[in-house]
Amino acid sequence: MLFLRRLVCVCCPSAPAGSVLDSRPCVFALTLLTLLLQVVVEANSWWSLAMNPLLIPEAYIIGAQPLCSQLVGLSQGQKKLCQLYQDHMQYIGEGAKTGIRECQYQFRHRRWNCSTVDNSSVFGRVMQIGSRETAFTYAISAAGVVNAVSRACREGELSSCGCSRAARPKDLPRDWLWGGCGDNLNYGYRFSKEFVDAREREKSYAKGSFESARLMMNLHNNEAGRRTVSDLAHVSCKCHGVSGSCSLKTCWLQLADFRKVGETLKEKYDSAASMKLNLRGKLVQRDSKFNPPTSHDLVYIESSPDYCLSNQSTGSLGTVGRLCNKTSEGMDGCELMCCGRGYDQYKAQIVERCHCKFHWCCYVKCKRCTKTVDQFVCK
Amino acid sequence: MDTCYRNYSRTTCFLYSQDHQNIGREPLVFLPAPFSNEPPTGKAHLKQCEQMTLTRRQKRMCRREPGLAETLRESVRLSLLECRYQFRNERWNCSLDGRGSLLKRGFKETAFLLAVSSAALSHALAKACSSGRMERCTCDDSPGIQHREAWQWGVCGDNLKYSTKFLKKFLGQKRVSKDLRAQIDSHNINVGIRAVKSGLKTTCKCHGVSGSCAVRTCWKQLSPFHDTGRLLKFRYDTAVRVLSVTNAATGETELAGPRRHGQSHRSTDLVFLEDSPSFCRPSRYSPGTAGRSCAKDTSCQSLCCGRGYNTAMHLTTLSCHCQVRWCCHVECQTCVREEEVYTCKNT
Repeated sequence: MLFLRRLVCVCCPSAPAGSVLDSRPCVFALTLLTLLLQVVVEANSWWSLAMNPLLIPEAYIIGAQPLCSQLVGLSQGQKKLCQLYQDHMQYIGEGAKTGIRECQYQFRHRRWNCSTVDNSSVFGRVMQIGSRETAFTYAISAAGVVNAVSRACREGELSSCGCSRAARPKDLPRDWLWGGCGDNLNYGYRFSKEFVDAREREKSYAKGSFESARLMMNLHNNEAGRRTVSDLAHVSCKCHGVSGSCSLKTCWLQLADFRKVGETLKEKYDSAASMKLNLRGKLVQRDSKFNPPTSHDLVYIESSPDYCLSNQSTGSLGTVGRLCNKTSEGMDGCELMCCGRGYDQYKAQIVERCHCKFHWCCYVKCKRCTKTVDQFVCK
Repeated sequence: MDTCYRNYSRTTCFLYSQDHQNIGREPLVFLPAPFSNEPPTGKAHLKQCEQMTLTRRQKRMCRREPGLAETLRESVRLSLLECRYQFRNERWNCSLDGRGSLLKRGFKETAFLLAVSSAALSHALAKACSSGRMERCTCDDSPGIQHREAWQWGVCGDNLKYSTKFLKKFLGQKRVSKDLRAQIDSHNINVGIRAVKSGLKTTCKCHGVSGSCAVRTCWKQLSPFHDTGRLLKFRYDTAVRVLSVTNAATGETELAGPRRHGQSHRSTDLVFLEDSPSFCRPSRYSPGTAGRSCAKDTSCQSLCCGRGYNTAMHLTTLSCHCQVRWCCHVECQTCVREEEVYTCKNT
């Protein structure tokens, strides 16, 4: 942004008024820059809501209009939604943060560990490649938003929704009460669909172009993430009969722990389907002998780049300096993580809590122990 | 490796010679056919002996013994089947591609290959002796067996003693050079032979009055080769890494492990020189794990090396609702079942 402003300031005074020759290279440079910026702007995404420390909800309401347009990474449609639903923004940020945190947990043992690069494009240029990792990231962040908005509804933080009004499930035993205050999955699902898909829906590309394939892939993966959350939601009950017995039970719909959502999506990541564009402009499987993907499965259109070495153009950070596990045979073992480059061994001091004791009343006091362990770092 | 392929009814090649100029000729198997029922006659075995890649001494021994050619082929088939079975869930699945380069290095896989090949050979030789397929040896007649009345019935145990003696001559293990690789290979071959020896059990059958054990017939029997294979796989999992150390007193090189109290390796442990590569990607040692079939919950994680797997539906036909019809055959219907098959992705 700053660079563009400087260029504009440099170009204009130097070109004398009316002279075509002098302004042409300037115009050329400017158009090139705007094109470049377009690419960079695509990379900016609503994930950046997770990175900036979000203000308290009231701050959005006071002088609301400027604040929404100041948020970087939102598309036009998303900005409009921001202005309409200002109090939801905080929870969208929290949802994105939950999604990113879960992504980093699930990928902690792999070469690409879902690391965030900066505050605007969050993951860097890696997300511009339509790989399996991109699919997982889109899915889990959409799922995070569903989770956060549904919980916020239940807790009464949002003005436009309340407790779940889902119908009583048919297989519930007759003498159990259906009520309580369940997570408003329905509202969360619909809001996430509106907000997260807004950027994809407002664009349209030529049929058969690469961008249209990427658009369809993003929409499919967002939907897969949302459906996973809604599939894993379960009925939870509380017993409150005579002296706590289960003669009287109240049940409600509760969202699953987000760790389970992460694990399910990780399984989908392992079995993701490779797709390509057919002549009619639709996404079809690359190899038709494999099972076609359902709306719950993840799809991808390009193969993953090499995450072993750091590469500016693909956005891969490489595995130099990553910790590896010497005894493991899996992806976090030193052989696979360091891609055959070898590893260095260090002794590290780890401080942890030990000899914890409960004191009356009512706190726990722990001592700190230091331990020397061997750590292996990739070359 | 090219010298092992012949046009006339596929041949096998052996790495049993200790002189390493012959390295690159490795045990292959192309002969799944079982033994023919006729006893070895005539000069057919001479041609087979010529086709195999053996040293001059080995060829001479092969010509002298008519049943040896068939036994050698049977042992190669046995070793390959067992190797593939034991490594069916591992990244290196004992495939034939890359076998030559693998045998040139000192990996754990090389140690296992040598051990299982020599174990298969000694197993096949012992069984051939007791089955009467060899001319120069017959059943086991060691005095360890119960004499009593049992000996009158002509008990026939597997002749492991002859097999071990013959192998030592065949593989030329008396002359072991001071080369580190030769020592390691010789050690691993001995581990294989010992594994077969440890499986030799005395089995008895009671046939006295109304089945009592007043009268017993006992003989020495080799355990099934699967048990030996399982034992060797366990040795592979617990193999010890060694390096060469010159004994200051005698001036000879000997194998020693990294500094540890006590003995570094026992005579029953497999030893290796260098760490194996991960056999994930195609290399000169293996074709990689792309396209390998795996089980979704257990082996796909490690086999596919993080690349993920493809799912396909597979129609399998199997026999079901089997019934016995009098007399005396079994009639089965064929059921068609659809099941999911998972194969590792290749990128």
